[in-house]
Amino acid sequence: MDIKKVYNSKSVEEVIDLLGEYGKKAKVIAGGTDIVIALNKNVIEPEILIDISKIEELKGIREEDEYITIGSTTTFAEVVESQIFENNLYGLHKACKMVGSPQIRNKGTIGGNIANGSPAADSVPPLMALDSIVTLKSIDGIREISLEDYYLNPIKEKELLINIRFKRPKDNQILTFAKLGLRKALAISRLTLSSYIEFEDKTIDSIRVASGALAKFPMREKEVEDYLLGKSLEEKTIEGAIEVLRNSMDERLKGRSTLPYKRVAISTILREILEEALAIEEGVKAW
Amino acid sequence: MVNINFTVNGKPYEISIDENMRLIDVLRDELGLIGTKEGCGEGECGACTIIMDGETVNSCLVMGFQADGSNIVTIEGLEKDGQLHPVQRAYMEAGAVQCGFCIPGMVLSTKALLDKNPSPSDEEIREGISGNLCRCTGYNKMLIATKKAIEYMKGE
Repeated sequence: MDIKKVYNSKSVEEVIDLLGEYGKKAKVIAGGTDIVIALNKNVIEPEILIDISKIEELKGIREEDEYITIGSTTTFAEVVESQIFENNLYGLHKACKMVGSPQIRNKGTIGGNIANGSPAADSVPPLMALDSIVTLKSIDGIREISLEDYYLNPIKEKELLINIRFKRPKDNQILTFAKLGLRKALAISRLTLSSYIEFEDKTIDSIRVASGALAKFPMREKEVEDYLLGKSLEEKTIEGAIEVLRNSMDERLKGRSTLPYKRVAISTILREILEEALAIEEGVKAW
Repeated sequence: MVNINFTVNGKPYEISIDENMRLIDVLRDELGLIGTKEGCGEGECGACTIIMDGETVNSCLVMGFQADGSNIVTIEGLEKDGQLHPVQRAYMEAGAVQCGFCIPGMVLSTKALLDKNPSPSDEEIREGISGNLCRCTGYNKMLIATKKAIEYMKGE
């Protein structure tokens, strides 16, 4: 590490000015759970470090009109403790609850999970399945981009990730999540899936499916979505969806040593999110 | 160098630190609080766990300057008037300590859990210490120790 100057910033404006002035010489730090490792191993060598974890404007979860907005420095623990992510939004609670360990969840942030760009970021597939919008700010102005497109056009060196928002789901719209890790705690995801399904009885009226650790970054699984749309969620539908996802994976992960394993493992994970969605919809399973 | 003001184990400090220091470096090298251990340095093992503003954090993943304005408890801060904290006493009595390297972090995770949830279930106890790796005990002794600590704290 060769950090020359550090800032405990108190406002978004101050951060944006600093990023505008220093550009790639500066790095933003919030929870630190990824970046401090990179700093300590000299994987990145910024001269300026700007702490944003004490800026009020970036903290917390707000419900406004039809949207739920999560400030970028909201921690995983805060999402887990929030009453908002119950019942039909349980998928995001479940994803955040499975991140790392209590210590990591107390510090790690939703904004950091997105900005760090890991393919295995646990909170991203559910946020993507919710069709979330990311807001970034720089001296040049505000940029809003859907989380799905974000990975093709990620955060730039002068930008600060402000928040992420999505439309509050109705009672018949259900978010679920499932993760395959190598153990219960402190596991980097090998495979994650999240689905957002609108039911009309057992029929899937609209659907979004997002995956983690199945590509260079989290992504929508459109072929599975197309297959499931309009179908009744029963055993043969689930089996069919597993085959469709396997075919997409065969093309995408061709030649990868993990493919044979992930091909088998995907069936349990996809089954879990679909069956859980149905159970929540039918009120069989409380969140 | 950067100036920081913070409270550690109830004592206020105003010190000047190197910008490159992590919080664990500040605690160990500047304040001499070497009860906090560095294991993996990557947030996997939890040996460096401290309580910061009421929450457990890995002090190897926090930069020193970020601690400005915070209230920190390390393992050295648990003892009161020469008496061990109930969690420390319970760990000793249950034989939950073998090599001892993970214990400062493990004890602080247990304390933080009981501060928030005075009567946790077995599952909640295991979840509460899931960020602290121990290669000696197999964790069952920690579970027994925590249950003892719960009884001691109820009696206080």
